[in-house]
Amino acid sequence: MNTALPEDITEFGAVAAKRFTRFGGPPAALQAETDDRVRHDARVALADLGAFDLDVRSADDDLLAAAVLCEAAGAAALPYPLVEELLAIDGARLALVNPETPRIDHGDLAGDWIAADLDGTRYHVQPSPRTSAKLGPFLVPATLTEPDGTVSPADVDLHLTLGSWRILGAVQQALEITRQHVTARMQFGKPLAEFQAVRFTIADASVAVRGLYELAKYTISRTGSTAAQVRSADALMLRLKATDTARQVLRTAHQLLGALGFCDESDVSILDRHTQPLIRLPVSSEVIALRLMPGVRGGQLETLFSEPVAAEPV
Amino acid sequence: MDYDLGADAVELRKRLRDLISTQIPEGFLGACTDDPKDLATTESFCKLLASDGLLALAWPKEHGGGGGSVWQQTVLREEMWAHHEPRGAQYMGINWVGPALMRYGTPEQKARHLSAISAGEVIWCQGFSEPEAGTDLASLRTRAVPDGDGWRVTGQKVWTSYAQMASWCVLAACTDPHAPKPQRLSLFLVPMDRPGITVRPIRSMLGPHHLNEVFLDGVEVFADEVLGEVGDGWRVMREALAFERVGIARYARCESLLDRMQNELGDDWDRLPESIRVRWVRALMDLRVARLLAYRAVSLQDDKSAGPAASAARIATTTCDQQVAELLFDVLGPSALDSGTSARLHGAVEDHWRYAQAATVASGTIEVQRMLVARETLGDHG
Repeated sequence: MNTALPEDITEFGAVAAKRFTRFGGPPAALQAETDDRVRHDARVALADLGAFDLDVRSADDDLLAAAVLCEAAGAAALPYPLVEELLAIDGARLALVNPETPRIDHGDLAGDWIAADLDGTRYHVQPSPRTSAKLGPFLVPATLTEPDGTVSPADVDLHLTLGSWRILGAVQQALEITRQHVTARMQFGKPLAEFQAVRFTIADASVAVRGLYELAKYTISRTGSTAAQVRSADALMLRLKATDTARQVLRTAHQLLGALGFCDESDVSILDRHTQPLIRLPVSSEVIALRLMPGVRGGQLETLFSEPVAAEPV
Repeated sequence: MDYDLGADAVELRKRLRDLISTQIPEGFLGACTDDPKDLATTESFCKLLASDGLLALAWPKEHGGGGGSVWQQTVLREEMWAHHEPRGAQYMGINWVGPALMRYGTPEQKARHLSAISAGEVIWCQGFSEPEAGTDLASLRTRAVPDGDGWRVTGQKVWTSYAQMASWCVLAACTDPHAPKPQRLSLFLVPMDRPGITVRPIRSMLGPHHLNEVFLDGVEVFADEVLGEVGDGWRVMREALAFERVGIARYARCESLLDRMQNELGDDWDRLPESIRVRWVRALMDLRVARLLAYRAVSLQDDKSAGPAASAARIATTTCDQQVAELLFDVLGPSALDSGTSARLHGAVEDHWRYAQAATVASGTIEVQRMLVARETLGDHG
């Protein structure tokens, strides 16, 4: 067993993080709320990194590279629908939606879109203009056509998985900002980091983020080798853990940064607002848990004691 | 990157499950029960494991071990804990007393103790905690006063697991009360039948044999019984306990109990309240995360980040223990408090709930684990 990412993948992630820092990091995402050229520049940054040459569907190394790219994009709140474009079908970005209330992050960007729900049902979409919301500032309502075939279940799973890597990057960055703040901010004559309540809160957040990172690596490492039903359960489980962790860590960040954390001059505010679509969409964490429920008896939620799940005929 | 335990570890898991199914009676809940047959079961099972080189699987072959890989050791930990630790009280000698002897013991100490431990012939206890020194072990008060070529030890130990059945004790005592805290303590390897040692069992929710007080009244100890150097006990103790840092594979028993309960419920599982079934899903998610954190800590081995990684794994797995205990109690409803062999899963749920209360206390409290994780993240503030 080797639970570490390959060295070249780690290096690629570091290069991507540097490029996104040069792009401007979360403050650039803030600027993108009012200046569409920034989103164009975000795409240029991704193209510089070779993002759109990655074959995430069939090349294992490319999928790992895409994962760390998404992680770096999440840390920078990169204002671009990276996962949706990595999984484009015939040039149309793929959005995961809840057909009852379809919303698409960055759906106002030029270019074709198609949508799929968690069951893989495919829809053509007509995105609406942006509404300048505080939470999910690039989120647009969309109108769906009648169901129009299906997308591969593997695409749905990859969408959930790579989106979770974006959440991972966001929570890692939120924790790092919080760490810097509590070690620098003096209250009652000493750094916040000297208060045990603060230390324990940071420790709990750190354990949550470490756990998400381990689960993210595990999930992506076996995406191509498990039975389809297990892969689907893996992806949903990762997304459930990612959304739980995001809520915990962002709450911790807000609490420990105090009023500063609500202000857009703090990256925490930007990370939080811009990551909300990934945390809430296409469905809530409660709905994800409900979708996982049949997998308990079906054995798709593998444990040390579950029987192997036979692959379903394609 | 891969999560393959390796063919030898997979084979070992199968072999252990076969052994357990043939050697351990159904409904076995560990050595610390009211039924003396359970203790006998663990003793004969340990000898069987030892004869197959499985008891001290992690040890080098020269000391009677099996020379197993870290992943085989991981599988052994998982399968033993999942099946209510049929090694009984032996794991302490195997997991850290033996490895500490290999590192700090004299040739005579190694010759005397290691083969006996690896053969499953001897039970050790750990005389560390005291009424006034639990987590803060460096403050312990038991004194070793120089006497001839050795010392006389006087004091009291508490929460000493297995002291009634142990034949040897690693005893921590203060040899120099005026030295700086890290240099005050020494460790002694003391036979439990030595005059001046009195063991008193403590009634607890964990069952008989488990917790004890040990009174030391002028107990004679000798220079050749010191483990490591005199005054170096604190360092030896900390490093020795690091052998156990990944801790018990609690996630394995939780997964086993959920699996057994699900099988027993059959179609009734679908009729559980939805809120409970959602908690079940979340428990399986948290258990997978705990297992992966443990694997990460194991894979880091001697890396300097291994300590905080192990603490993170322990926080995750001990909280899972309590989460699953509450979940299973809520699944059982009014019958949750039933105990004994006629209870659901032969009383394993009630047994698990009781032990889960100790999960965040034993072998380093969850608060200490949080301190260690925070220290890595925030540095030494506070």
